[in-house]
Amino acid sequence: MTWQLTTLDPRTKLIIVLCLSSLAVFCQNIYLLLLVLLLTLIVVKLTGGELGQLFSKFKKFIKVFLAVIVIQSIFTNEGQVLLQVMQIKLLTDVGLLRGLQTVLRFLIVIAAAVVMTTANSRDIIQGLIQWKVPYELAFMVTIAIRFLPLLQEEATDTLTALQLRGVNLKKIPILKRLRTYSYLLMPLLTSVLIKARDLSVAMEMRAFRAYPQRTSLRELHFARIDYFVIVLSMLLFQLLLWAALVLS
Amino acid sequence: MISLKDVSFYYKRGKPIFEHLNLEIPSKLITFIVGPNGGGKTTLGKLMAGILKPQSGVVLVDSLNTKTVPLAELGAKVGYLFQEPERQIFAATVRDEIGFVLSLRDKPQGEIATIVDAVLEQFQLTHLAAVSPLKLSRGEKQRLAIAAIMVNQPQFFILDEPTTGLDRERIDILSGVIEDLQQRGIGMAIISHDQSFVRRHAQQVITVAGGEIVDVAAYHP
Repeated sequence: MTWQLTTLDPRTKLIIVLCLSSLAVFCQNIYLLLLVLLLTLIVVKLTGGELGQLFSKFKKFIKVFLAVIVIQSIFTNEGQVLLQVMQIKLLTDVGLLRGLQTVLRFLIVIAAAVVMTTANSRDIIQGLIQWKVPYELAFMVTIAIRFLPLLQEEATDTLTALQLRGVNLKKIPILKRLRTYSYLLMPLLTSVLIKARDLSVAMEMRAFRAYPQRTSLRELHFARIDYFVIVLSMLLFQLLLWAALVLS
Repeated sequence: MISLKDVSFYYKRGKPIFEHLNLEIPSKLITFIVGPNGGGKTTLGKLMAGILKPQSGVVLVDSLNTKTVPLAELGAKVGYLFQEPERQIFAATVRDEIGFVLSLRDKPQGEIATIVDAVLEQFQLTHLAAVSPLKLSRGEKQRLAIAAIMVNQPQFFILDEPTTGLDRERIDILSGVIEDLQQRGIGMAIISHDQSFVRRHAQQVITVAGGEIVDVAAYHP
């Protein structure tokens, strides 16, 4: 058996992601959440995901994470105060703990999502169909996955074009900045509508839903490694769930 | 003048697009960037405009380092026309599209109207002033995008595949716009596959292939 799991069936990856995300919700204990995060990172690495890109994604959320910890501290209103400005408790030990729980859950979900990006979108749709998910629903999911990077690229280009027009968003007062953001919506909405129209025409031309039953040339089959990984995932899931219940 | 000094750039580590690239684009000439698909033409254009930042080396636009100067400031020097003009059209009418940046800068309404009217006339868009940009043809959208950039009075333009999707008549109109810009002392770098368009306007041709500058040649029609 090889430790490189890049060729796993997308359904296996989906099961792993469901297990990890569920654990992120059920676990309260910080150490357990850290363990789940570590497991998630190992799965990302083994399934061929790029840890470097993932960490750079994490970096972008640092301010949000800090804000979450402060907000938890302010609104929890219990525990020992670690930092206080005037009458406002900016940091308490309970707030810090709850903030860290939220941050770790967030990190686990982001990292687990990266596992799904290592699967081919066509295979994901095929996997869902073989799980008896209606084709139309599975197809919509695939389209969303397929078009997200394209929309991201367009949004970046549009923002760049606006800045090249001499608009320095960092120097504009907040109210005017909101007005400026409304200008960004115009090209993005136009592009989405044009793409939706073109795609619907292309689908009609290729006789989408001409017959109620669809057949597939390519079918997915679980390999022995898939069964092994699914059983291992379920066992670990139950073990960690039990640990979460004991420690809570 | 735009200078690239010892520029290296990659989208993905380990797969460089350009390595130790040195290039100077004269400020008053029309320079065409030609070459096969995937050769790095658009990447070069975006590096020149400051949209992409090199991992090493420097790109200087009139001695401004694109790594350190904000895009908004570079936009006053260099205008960039994307291959898809829809991506740089923001407002609900042609008139607003040209004027909204000025209103964000708190220019008086009277002054904005004068500037917008002059630009509309220069680009033969006056009759379309109240029309939604969505209803324009591709050629008109391109003209509108260039007109909107002109409000910033840039000294240099970078146009990415401006003739794509245009018929001969629309290309002639675009040629008129390019000649007009050149008469106003504005230099240009144009990324293009259209050989007849290159022959018509080129004063210098840079051939890019496989991430390398294969040839830089003065062009004499």
